[in-house]
Formats: sequence, C-alpha cells, structure tokens
Amino acid sequence: MPMGHTATAQAGSGGLTATEHRLANGLRVVLSEDHLTPVAAVCLWYDVGSRHEVKGRTGLAHLFEHLMFQGSAQVKGNGHFELVQGAGGSLNGTTSFERTNYFETMPAHELELALWLEADRMGSLLTALDDESMENQRDVVKNERRQRYDNVPYGTAFEKLTALMYPEGHPYHHTPIGSMADLDAATLEDARAFFRTYYAPNNAVLSVVGDIDPEQTLAWVEKYFGSIPGHDGKPAPRDGSLPEIIGEQLREVVEEEVPARALMAAYRLPHDGTRACDAVDLALTVLGGGESSRLYNRLVRRDRTAVAAGFGLLRLAGAPSLGWLDVKTSGDVEVPVIETAIDEELARFAEEGPTAEEMERAQAQLEREWLDRLGTVAGRADELCRYAVLFGDPQLALTAVQRVLEITPEEVQEVAKARLRPDNRAVLVYEPTAPETPADQDENEEAAR
Amino acid sequence: MTELATMDFHPRPQAGDAKPWAFPAPKRGALDNGLTVLRCHRPGQQVVAVEVLLDAPLDAEPAGLDGVATIMARAFSEGTDKHSAEDFAAELERAGATLDAHADHPGVRLSLEVPASRLAKGLGLIADALRAPAFADSEVERLVNNRLDEIPHELANPSRRAAKELSKELFPADSRMSRPRQGTEETVAAIDSAAVRAFYEKHVRPATATAVVVGDLTGIDLDALLADTLGAWTGSAAEPRPVPPVTADDTGRVVIVDRPGAVQTQLLIGRIGPDRHDRVWPAQVLGTYCLGGTLTSRLDRVLREEKGYTYGVRAFGQVLRSAPDGTGAAMLAISGSVDTPNTGPALEDLWTVLRTLAAEGLTDAERDVAVQNLVGVAPLKYETAAAVASTLADQVEQHLPDDYQATLYRQLAATGTVEATAAAVSAFPVDRLVTVLVGDAAQIKAPVEALGIGEVTVVSAE
Repeated sequence: MPMGHTATAQAGSGGLTATEHRLANGLRVVLSEDHLTPVAAVCLWYDVGSRHEVKGRTGLAHLFEHLMFQGSAQVKGNGHFELVQGAGGSLNGTTSFERTNYFETMPAHELELALWLEADRMGSLLTALDDESMENQRDVVKNERRQRYDNVPYGTAFEKLTALMYPEGHPYHHTPIGSMADLDAATLEDARAFFRTYYAPNNAVLSVVGDIDPEQTLAWVEKYFGSIPGHDGKPAPRDGSLPEIIGEQLREVVEEEVPARALMAAYRLPHDGTRACDAVDLALTVLGGGESSRLYNRLVRRDRTAVAAGFGLLRLAGAPSLGWLDVKTSGDVEVPVIETAIDEELARFAEEGPTAEEMERAQAQLEREWLDRLGTVAGRADELCRYAVLFGDPQLALTAVQRVLEITPEEVQEVAKARLRPDNRAVLVYEPTAPETPADQDENEEAAR
Repeated sequence: MTELATMDFHPRPQAGDAKPWAFPAPKRGALDNGLTVLRCHRPGQQVVAVEVLLDAPLDAEPAGLDGVATIMARAFSEGTDKHSAEDFAAELERAGATLDAHADHPGVRLSLEVPASRLAKGLGLIADALRAPAFADSEVERLVNNRLDEIPHELANPSRRAAKELSKELFPADSRMSRPRQGTEETVAAIDSAAVRAFYEKHVRPATATAVVVGDLTGIDLDALLADTLGAWTGSAAEPRPVPPVTADDTGRVVIVDRPGAVQTQLLIGRIGPDRHDRVWPAQVLGTYCLGGTLTSRLDRVLREEKGYTYGVRAFGQVLRSAPDGTGAAMLAISGSVDTPNTGPALEDLWTVLRTLAAEGLTDAERDVAVQNLVGVAPLKYETAAAVASTLADQVEQHLPDDYQATLYRQLAATGTVEATAAAVSAFPVDRLVTVLVGDAAQIKAPVEALGIGEVTVVSAE
C-alpha cells in the first residue's frame, strides 16, 4: 500500500499534522490524528459542483447529492441515514459551485461503518437508483428551493447577484439550487450519466480526522474503496476565468414584497488561493466584517440610515471570488443615500488603507474563525479536503491562518484600490411593493395596510 | 434497468470497542461578590466559551415596556465607563472575541467566545459591561430604532411569524409568554435609557448571576483572572422573586396567517407540556425523537421521503421555563413547511401519523435506534467548549443539578419502548394541538377545514 510522507507540524499549523496517501484507483486519502475526544470525522469531496452542469440541467449536481442518500447495493432505502444515526453519528452532504461533499462524524469505534457506507455508494449507487427515489427527491429539492429561497424575503438575492456578476453562459452564472424548470426536466438517465461521469475514486478526496489509528484506517480504506474502478471520462469544467474588472456598473432593481429597501452588491474579486484573496478578505473585514467595521460604524451607528450593513466573501477557485455587500435600510431612507455613503467609505479606504489597529482587529477575527473551523474534527476534515481538491495540497489547510497573518496593510490597500470600485460591481436594489390584497378576507383597513 | 457494480463487496463491519466518554462535570464555586462560577477544563479547546446568566426574566419587565430586557442585553456591548460604544466593539474584535446577548423567558444571557490566549481581555470586557454599562441616551435610542426596524423583517419571515402567532394563541393575554419576546412596535418605542437603567438596577447583580467558563484552561490562573474582572462587579443581595406558573389553552384549533401568493405553508403545531423537572422528560425526549427528530423519524418518513411534500418536518420539545416546584413548562411542537397545493394532504398525513402512533405505539427497533443516536452523539455534540458551556448554562437556568446531562444519558438508555410511546402520545394528543399555518388562505383554508382538526380562523399577516 502506498504510504505517503508523515508530516511533521509546520510553522503556523497550531501543531496539527496530516498525512497523504493515494490508492491505485486514484482515490486520494488524507489522515489527521487527534486523540482528545473519541470521535472521528469522515469527509469525502467529489470534484463536481454546479459549475459542471450544462444548460437546461441546472440543479442536477445538488439533486444528485440527494440521490446519494437513497440507497446503494448493500444499503437499503434510507439505510445510510439510519445506520449512521443508529451508531451515534451525524451526517449530511452539501453542494456548492465547485464541489459536492459528504460527511459523517462518528464515535471513534464506529469509523469503519462510515467508510463502508461511503464506499458502497461510490461503487454501486446505480444498482439501487430508481424512478421512485428520483421523483421523490425531485419534489423534496423543489420544496427545499421554496423554503430556503422562494418563500422568504430577499431569498433569491444571491441567485440574482450571481446571475448579474457572472455572464450568461459562464459556469457560475447559476447557483447550485438550480431552476424549477430544470429540476422538472432532469431525468433518471441524466442522474445516471452524472454518476458515471463524476463519481469515481480518482475524482474524489477522502479525509479522516480524529481519534484514529492511521495504519488501521488506511487498511480499511484500501479494503472498502480499493476495488472501485477509476475512470477518466470526466470532461474539464468550462473555463471560469474573467477579466479582473467588470468594466461597468451592472444594476438591477427588484420591486417585490419585502419589508424594507435593500442595497446589495457583488464585487469581482481575486481567486481563492492567492495572496490577493487573503488581502481582500482582510479589506472586507475592515470595511464590513463586524460591529466595529467602517460601514457598520458609518451607516448603523453614525448616519443611522441602515439596520444592518456588512460584507461577506465567497472564496472561489475556478472563477473570480465574490464580495457580497448587504445593507438593509432603516425607516424611509432612500437607497441613493446609502450608496453615496458606501462609495465615500470605499474611496476613503482605497486612499488611506487600513490603520494598524484595523489590521490587528481584522486579523484577530479571521484567526478566530480559523480556530473555530479547525477546532472540530469535522471542520478540519472538510478543510483538508478543500485544499486537496481545489489546490492539490491538503497541508495548505493547516497553514491558511498563517498566510492571512502575513498580509501587509499595503497589500490590503492595493487590492481594495484595484477591485472595490463602482465599475467592478453588480448592484441589486430592492424596492418594496405593497402586499397583495388578501382575496377571501373581510376588507378592513388593518388588512389593507 | 439497473446496472451491475464491479467492486468487491464486504459485509457491513461491526463496531469496535466503545471508548469511555462522559458529559464533563464542572467545578462549582463562588466569588466574594456572590457570583456563582462553574468552570470546566476541556483540553484542546483553544476558543474559550463564557456564559453569564442574569436573573432578569421577561416576566419582570414593567408593564408596557416589553423588550426592555432585550434592549438592555444589547446595550451591554454599547459602551462602559472605560470605552465608548465604538471602542468597545473594536476592543472585542481586537481580542478575536464575539459577544452575544439575548433576553428570554428565564433571564438574560451573555455569551462570550474568545481565544484562550486572550481570555483575560475578554473577561475584562464582559465584566466592564456588567459592572458599569454606559446605557448612553443616544446609543439606547439607536438600539430602540434598530429594533423597530427589525420587527417588519421578522413579521415577513414565515417561521418567525408562525411562532409569534402560536404564542398569542396558546398563552393567556396577561401572560408575558403570549407576547413577542423582544417586544412590539408599541412597547419598544416606549423604551429609553432611563427604563433600561431602571431594569438593570432592579434585576442585575452578581449575587443572582452565574458565570460558566469552559475551554482549555492550561496555564491559566482562572481564580486570579476572575477576581480581577467579574470579581470587581458589586451589587446588593436580592429577594427571591415569585414566578407565575405557565398555563396554556391547547383546545384543538387552526389559525391561518394569510400570506396571499405564498408558494409554501409554514406549519407550527404546538401546545405545552412537561419540562425537565418532570420524570417523564427522558421518555418524552425519546418519543419526540421517534416522531420527528430526524429524516428517518415517522413524520419525515411519510411527509418527505414518501410524499415529497416538504424539505423536512421536525418535532421538538423546548423548555420555556423550568423550575423544581412544577410551575415550568416546555413548548412541544411540530414545525416545517409544505408546498401550498399539498397543505391539506400533508396535514392529513401528519394527523394519520399521530393517530397511528397512539393506536399502535413505537416499535422496539425505533426506540433502540433513537437511544443509540441520542446517547451516542454526545461526544460529537459536546466537542466544542461553546456546546458544553451552553448546556451547563441551561442547567443552571433551569435549576437543575450540575450532573443533570450526565444523568439524562443514563435515563435515556434505561427508558423502554412503552414509556417512550406513552410520553409521545401524551405530548402530541390529536385533539389538543394548536395549529398555526402561515400561507395563502385562499388556497389552503377549505382543504384544512375539511380535515376536522379544529375550527379554522384566518388572520392578516400584518
């Protein structure tokens, strides 16, 4: 069995280590020991996400993720859930633009069961997949879409911003949930073809973290996954690269029944994995990362024109990252008032850069977020997979925080100046409309208000 | 058409030997100022969690000032005698810390999380906030306006709107529990800094407060740290305050909160029942889990995995207030959302699940899996310091012994199928459930009326 190198703790890794291995069928395996608590996390990242979907089949990667819980050759129906939960474990799967992940956190003595289950569906899902599960999960996913996006105020904002920000035909133009029409159109044969194309050991990374015996774990991995054939049928994802700057301000005004006006924007930012991405993370933290950020102080504390104001960063490796500004207005304040204040703050930041104290605060916040993420075995397993799949090196997960701490104020200012400008954003404005008049109700002034 | 897999199959593996794990036992003590302290060393947990509980329950809010406890809780992080509001937020973030505070029926709770290396700084800030909050006029005014701005957002959210309506339906109008925890537009608008300070002076003091500190405390002299920080907070002793018993009207009925055009109906079906001081609690936890704890429980097995009506429906028991004298209660409820056209059929199936449970009971296999999950997940669930601190704080808030959680796991393991069935059936009796539906009345009213699950009334969402 090919054993990888045994890593010693690198500087800035907080003493955490990970070892890497590869089975003959191409499955990459990352192991990390931690004996503090008798638990073990299993995480499997498949290198497939919504960016691999084709026109007319948006949402297929996510719908498929649901089908992975509908049984395989040796696991009946909902057996995957039943067996893991019955063993005292917890589990789920998620789908994003760039990957699909599946994870189980188990009491340490039940680790082998999780490996067996993941291997069974990786190797034999199609022996169990049928019309009944397809139809059922199609309905479940459509209800997921309604619950999370369509039936909540501003629920489709992110979908609209993404569609503005990444042009028609771009692999990131649509979000993982997909459209209702495409969910309706997906066929069982689409799902089968998707599995045959993307679900293979050489298109996945498996990480196991926690109270484990690495040699025993690797032997189990070889036993259960080793005979699953790899294949090379996977097409390369469509190119997601775009010019650094959009070059114009894109804008959409949505008139909808929402409780307040809102100003949102997506900025086109550097790809994940670059120093500039870490620098822009710090810039967004200084500007909108908490209750001492510049935008919060300006809009919520001083001008008192907003209820909430903040910036978030969606790191992406295969396309420009997305900086998401979200401001909900206070009372009757009009959007241009907010927009002017934001442009002033961004211009001032580009001009001055962060203060030493702002750098310290932003770095402390990001450092703590990393401590949180690496503080559980499941969080660590997920990060190891992320760096292995997207950047080819799981060790980078353990030193990520160090890289953020090495960024200089000059780098932060530089990226802010280059990217956080009006001609590099897609703006989404919400203007509330009056509620529909209730149809079967006594008309009174209360209801019509 | 199926296809043959080409891998080698192996039989399902058996579990190895379980390693011992127990819910951590905290060490209890008190500072000279009367503050109770629970501490718990969790090796490897580099982010320390601190919870501070204040005996300032919603029931103590003055008439007409619902929301003053919430505004006070938020105002704790808006400046002290040492820092302005902006500086206080900056200092917290500089320490890599977060501080949340919220007011609920049993009291006000502050939750601090901070890297162990900066625990001194974090404790200093939370101690300043409790000892000498600024409650500046302008900051309180801002918090009040901010809160007023939040209310329409909450009313527009289907699950928040449903919760508000259920409380109004269940509890008597003169009970604090019938009204929104964070106040209404009318009551919040009446709050000013004087009201906040008066509430603080009447209800916040170290003698009736508890601090819970959990994390990797290696090399930290916690006694010295506490003496310098929370130990410097002073205040008078307090008389115990009587609390009214929780009562509710669970006559079976349906209220539709009308949202014309809604693509889904939000369901919230509930009543009140026994809390953690009742001997039935472990059986009720078990039975409720079997009914609707997860995707493979009875409700989702039908509503999601067979019918596809929903992304998920859950049954749960949530303590409202818990006391040894039996005056407390838990909210027992089923919640989820279903697509609008299937609202009637989904409710019909839901009631069928409840009736079948009452008629046939749980199976031993269901009970076994539930116990294995509820007990087995404990080491996972309590991996972080924050999770341990939160449960220890719940125990204090609910007047339970420090070893309650550890005992509960033993009781769950000893609870049989018959007891779990009885508890679930009496927790969710089909004719004593108040159903709130937030959805399109024009489409759902007639099918819901046809089910005969109680009188149906429609109210406006506004």
